Amino acid sequence: MTNGKHIPEEDLRLLAAGAIPEEECAALRAHAVECPECAAKLAEERGLAALLALTAPQEKPAATIKAELFARIRTERDAEERNRWPVPDVANKPEASRAARRAWWNWVLAPLAAALLMAAGIEWLESRRLGEELASVNHQLAVLMNERQRTEMMLDVLAAQDTMSVKMAGTPGAEMATGMVRYNPRKGMVMYTAELPPPPMGKIYQMWLVPATGVPISAGIFVPVEHGARQMWMAEVPLHTEAKLFAVTVEPGEGMPQPTGVKVLVGVVGG
Amino acid sequence: MSPQGSTGELVSDWSLLERVVRKDEAALSALYDRYSGLVFSEAKRILRDAGAAEEILQDLFYQVWRTAERFDAARGSLAGWLLVAARNRAISRLRRKTGKTEELDENGVILRVDLESVAAQNVLLDKVRGVMGSLPEGQRQALELAYFEGMSHTEIAEKTGQPLGTVKTRIRAAMETLKQVLR
Repeated sequence: MTNGKHIPEEDLRLLAAGAIPEEECAALRAHAVECPECAAKLAEERGLAALLALTAPQEKPAATIKAELFARIRTERDAEERNRWPVPDVANKPEASRAARRAWWNWVLAPLAAALLMAAGIEWLESRRLGEELASVNHQLAVLMNERQRTEMMLDVLAAQDTMSVKMAGTPGAEMATGMVRYNPRKGMVMYTAELPPPPMGKIYQMWLVPATGVPISAGIFVPVEHGARQMWMAEVPLHTEAKLFAVTVEPGEGMPQPTGVKVLVGVVGG
Repeated sequence: MSPQGSTGELVSDWSLLERVVRKDEAALSALYDRYSGLVFSEAKRILRDAGAAEEILQDLFYQVWRTAERFDAARGSLAGWLLVAARNRAISRLRRKTGKTEELDENGVILRVDLESVAAQNVLLDKVRGVMGSLPEGQRQALELAYFEGMSHTEIAEKTGQPLGTVKTRIRAAMETLKQVLR
């Protein structure tokens, strides 16, 4: 407890580090909310403690998480647009008629209108809440359906007679890396697995289909999860492309239109 | 748009956040690219579960999208808030507590360091790891148990068999060293 006094600096430090027992935290936090001086000091100490996060082994989240985040945002935005409160059109009403109605409104119907507005407001809030819940369910459903569609597509490609398998091997400097590509030119689908360490900070891996003629075609970016479940990635490429080889390079950010980075895996078709 | 502007200069968190308030998805994407690795790594270090860490990551950035207008740059930094909120949510999950949602404007987090570029993050990574590596074993252990395991000083004292006063002193001393080196 602070008993109205400022929180001692040593307690602020323990609080920021997360070492104060939960039952004592509430009083300290409550004081900080009321006391700008202690709040400022706590903010400084929390900033310092937050840097401990940098001692964690640095890894990248799965690339699909970002896609799911934006799918969630778009789904909810669409739901909100559907639930938007309609704006009444009063622009074309004659002025005299409106004035007459205003008198009635002010003296007779105002309390009723207020009650109705309140009821409508409550209904709108409820409708909005339901809309958000619906959006969340829709999002989960969309994720499941995408997952199912993706699995069916994978099985379809794997079962096809004309799907070729290309084993990938690590390049010098990445000898431990391995990978396997399944490619079906008729369906324009590339599926692959890769055993690779997490890429350097700020980088990702990018798969390339190198055609018999022309420039390499991107077959998607990916980031393996360290010690995670075995993952399979898939990408669409132009139909009936004759592949000469497949390669994986290390690229910045969200991938490049053409390979620029170090090649870590290569697999020659028919090799 | 990338975290770099059209002329290649780094766009600040604050500028990106202003664009997020105007519902600019590219700005949120840039912030995600900038901090998702740090946030995910921290949550995974605490939970040792990539799936759970990814859920926290996604929820935090979703909260940024929904409530960016509540963030006051004068009261703290976005990077600091993300790291503290990720830690609190991960600890709540670890200890199966129903933790209160960390609001953007709740008790700000002031970072006196730059985390806005990969280069700056890498420099700071080395620096903080260097400090932690140089701490006496007892100090480092006490601080890690508090921050990454969510243990109170009393619980740390029980676990390590050290007097409560010693545990408190160790945590404070470790934080002070970190502060001195980063100053």
